[in-house]
Amino acid sequence: MTEDQSRRAFLKRSGALGIVGAASPFVMNLAAIGEAAAAVNTDYKALVCIFLFGGNDWANTLPPYDQASYNAYQAQRSVLAYQRADLAATLLNPSTALPGGRQFALSPSLAPLLPVFNAGRMAPVLNVGTLIQPTTKAQYTARSVRLPPKLFSHNDQQSFWQASNPEGANSGWGGRIGDLMQAGNGNSTLTCINASGNAVFLTGRQAVQYSVGTGGPIALSARTSLYGSAAASSALQAMMGGATPGLFANEHAKVSKRSLDAFAQVSAALAAAPALTTAFPTSSLGQQLQVVARMISMSSQLGARRQVFFVSTGGFDNHDALVAQHPGLLANVAGSAKAFYDATVELGISDKVTSFTGSDFGRTLLANTDGSDHGWGSMHFVLGGAVNGGRFFGTAPEYANNGPSDVGQGRLLPAVAVDQYASTLANWFGVANSDMTSVLPNMGNYNQSTWNLGFV
Amino acid sequence: MRDDTDVRLDTEHDQATLDTAATVEVPKSLAGIVTATLPMVALAACGGGGDGGSGTPTGVAPTPTPPPVVIVPPTTAQASRFLGQTSMGATRTEIDRVVSVGYDTWITDQFAVARATSHWDWLIAGGYNAAANVNGQNGFDNTVWRQAISGQDQLRQRVGQALLSFLVVGIDGLNTNWRAFAAANYIDVLMDNAFGNYRELLEKVTLSSGMGYYLTYIGNRKANAATGAQPDENYARELMQLFTLGVSKLNADGTVQTSGGNPLDAYTQEDVSGLARVFTGFNLDSNDSSTPDRLRRPLIQQAANHELGTKVFLGTTIPANTDGFASLRLALDAIFANANVPPFVSKQLIQRLVTSNPTPAFVGRVSAVFANNGSGVRGDMKAVIRAILTDTEARSDANLTAANFGKLREPVIRLTNWARAFGATSPSDAWAFGNTSSSLNRLAQSIGHSPSVFNFFRPGYTPPNTAIATAGLVAPEMQITNEPSVIAYVNYMQSLIQSGTGDVRANYTETLTRATDSAALVAEINLVLAAGQLSAATVTTIRTAVDSIGTTTPALLANRVYAAILLTMASPDYLAQK
Repeated sequence: MTEDQSRRAFLKRSGALGIVGAASPFVMNLAAIGEAAAAVNTDYKALVCIFLFGGNDWANTLPPYDQASYNAYQAQRSVLAYQRADLAATLLNPSTALPGGRQFALSPSLAPLLPVFNAGRMAPVLNVGTLIQPTTKAQYTARSVRLPPKLFSHNDQQSFWQASNPEGANSGWGGRIGDLMQAGNGNSTLTCINASGNAVFLTGRQAVQYSVGTGGPIALSARTSLYGSAAASSALQAMMGGATPGLFANEHAKVSKRSLDAFAQVSAALAAAPALTTAFPTSSLGQQLQVVARMISMSSQLGARRQVFFVSTGGFDNHDALVAQHPGLLANVAGSAKAFYDATVELGISDKVTSFTGSDFGRTLLANTDGSDHGWGSMHFVLGGAVNGGRFFGTAPEYANNGPSDVGQGRLLPAVAVDQYASTLANWFGVANSDMTSVLPNMGNYNQSTWNLGFV
Repeated sequence: MRDDTDVRLDTEHDQATLDTAATVEVPKSLAGIVTATLPMVALAACGGGGDGGSGTPTGVAPTPTPPPVVIVPPTTAQASRFLGQTSMGATRTEIDRVVSVGYDTWITDQFAVARATSHWDWLIAGGYNAAANVNGQNGFDNTVWRQAISGQDQLRQRVGQALLSFLVVGIDGLNTNWRAFAAANYIDVLMDNAFGNYRELLEKVTLSSGMGYYLTYIGNRKANAATGAQPDENYARELMQLFTLGVSKLNADGTVQTSGGNPLDAYTQEDVSGLARVFTGFNLDSNDSSTPDRLRRPLIQQAANHELGTKVFLGTTIPANTDGFASLRLALDAIFANANVPPFVSKQLIQRLVTSNPTPAFVGRVSAVFANNGSGVRGDMKAVIRAILTDTEARSDANLTAANFGKLREPVIRLTNWARAFGATSPSDAWAFGNTSSSLNRLAQSIGHSPSVFNFFRPGYTPPNTAIATAGLVAPEMQITNEPSVIAYVNYMQSLIQSGTGDVRANYTETLTRATDSAALVAEINLVLAAGQLSAATVTTIRTAVDSIGTTTPALLANRVYAAILLTMASPDYLAQK
């Protein structure tokens, strides 16, 4: 599709949006921004969100290693804590030491990522979480600033993490980045791509997520013939995707139409994709990241210049049996993320692709009987050839129960807002500071000097 | 007031004896409902029960004199629509029965249908307790599909599915052996108590092995001063957030209470931590894992592990030295008395059975019945179910053309719609649909396989950046609707319709009698599957497609039937149930 066709498609989409009424002027204004941003993108970049559903346990993901911190960690969660000796092999030696002699190790099961860190292509970001504005412990205690609603609630914090709003949010920041970029893509449908189902993260005010299976798009069995009839096949496809008066019926039909319309182009591209020698884990996450790598490998054939992807894995709500279950969950993340990074190296595009983790929330530092409970801030990782890795970003938290870094039981008060984490990624992706509040509505609450944390 | 069965009256005379402090006109479209709305209004006049001034439901206009009610039998389309809300799928036989007896009697009759067999007993009878199954799920999918499709207690099956959608246990998340049995027993608890009292249901759910494992309070211990370990908060939080209160304070009509434009929280983290102390000390009653038997028995208390300090939550204080079971009952009583429970539970049941976006008035009417069934009983599920299914909003034909009314049909219920409509049988009784959770080649949903306690879809899910979102509405089932899943569903149904699965086969004998006549064929399928809700254009499209297939051989006639069914089930008109 040429630029002109894309622009016409965009105008047609905008026209369709016009039906909705009151929101339209705002939509059109953003659309104009999107057209402008698209004009300057001639290269390719991809952002890949790896979401850990359930709320990842921060303290055992990036355990402390310096003796003082380790002792505090061990004291607060003795039933869950790693032995310090077991962390020696995954001790992180950053290019820039943390203040106060603070040291961290990767969870032993994240060992596959150690070489990526050592190569300077992975950066841990410390204590990231949902905020509306910078918040101190005193402000939290006094409730003197606005806080994200429904803290500690899975579905609401998943949504707030992805969308800056609790459940029911109408767009997410991945999708809003897509709004600014999709007009520069040959097929705007292939801007925001989800390999794991549905996520508000990938829906913009205009951009609509496109969901793809781990083996690519799903072929309609009856695409040429239904029970021996070509006419019945045609009728089936027209009806599945046909406009209809009822609100729910029509939205369902839109999904079907998008699926049927994109099938030929995407399946043909994937069929022609180069075989990757990088082996991916057979886990769902591994397979999701494999299809993302394959999609990226055909991005130029698909006319895509900016793409945002979402993959996910669950099981992180480790209220019990944390010691038995959490290492395996992290091993899957590490193996899958490492394979994905390796695949981008193999494709010669590692500096064009940045992946990053997200999760509902962190968990308590304090243990319950044999697990941990819902928390707030957490440890996250950014990987890719463009990442300023091999060092830490953010601030190392204190290990305490209702100490300076936590709001009780070691629920971390985030020192880095998801907004700042997101704006750093968005800035690398090509979102100008002048557009940042359209992507992240609360961005104006943060000093602009902190909008880019420098990890990519 | 009066017993539930007494207030459902069949004659004009009896109706006049109702408390007429407040009543509503029964629309003509409410054919066959008889007095359905009247008792609810009468109940509403009783006030909010234990709601502490939660108020009278909105939207009910009092009129001084009850109008005469004309008892008109439902049409076949109205009956089919009703069965689409009250069962796992309409059949021609059941449509005719509803036409014959009317909605109210059908409900009463269904309340009286006992369960033929429990899931647990079916598993035992089938030998699934063989040692080889200790670490597997064998038998679970078989029994849940079997009962959903072939059970005579269809209203119970449907309400049980609704309960399972928010009182969630998913077999794949059970960290125990004999998972099929733990999950089967849990669904038995829901089914056995679906027509009981919600308070009792909560207690039985809490003491079930399935929930104990799923929300991790089996083995949960009181705080340990030596290690600093705290009680597990999992069940305390989700009991409030998902099973009883929701995250925000609600009005009696289900609308959210706000202050300065912000929703008011229904509970705090401190309430969660305080309540978590109640759910300590519970465990199975035996260490014998050689059989599944202990999973069927209620959890017991291990006193040494129960927190005996005070437990403070939601403004309630359970005094120190209160034992585990007493604490549990006090806690459930306190939660159950919260004003959020009637609207929170009522709205979700309405969403699962009737419409994704009920009006506040509808929620308010049902919520009032939940708060007080008319005899001073709170949480009477029979009264609540009847109130939902006979409400004006559920029954009015006017809503057939209201763009925002209705809901997407759940994929699981689409499958059971087909199986029931066409008399599917499984001679081996294995009902081999298996786990249909895959979004790539099955239904993206499967009974009892929810990936988390948040179900396959959330009652508050709004598909972002859609006309649904713009209208400020929710569409829960859209959460599992995406580009792969919409194709996978059609592919799977195409195969099932033609070939079944395992030894499951539909019986198209009756349908085939109409195969040469596309008008008659599509009309019958439209009635049974889609309650006559296919548009004229859709009917024409399907007929044209059917007529593209010849009539000269039995195979062609069969293909005409298959095509008519699949095209119906793939049509947006069917997928969105009005």
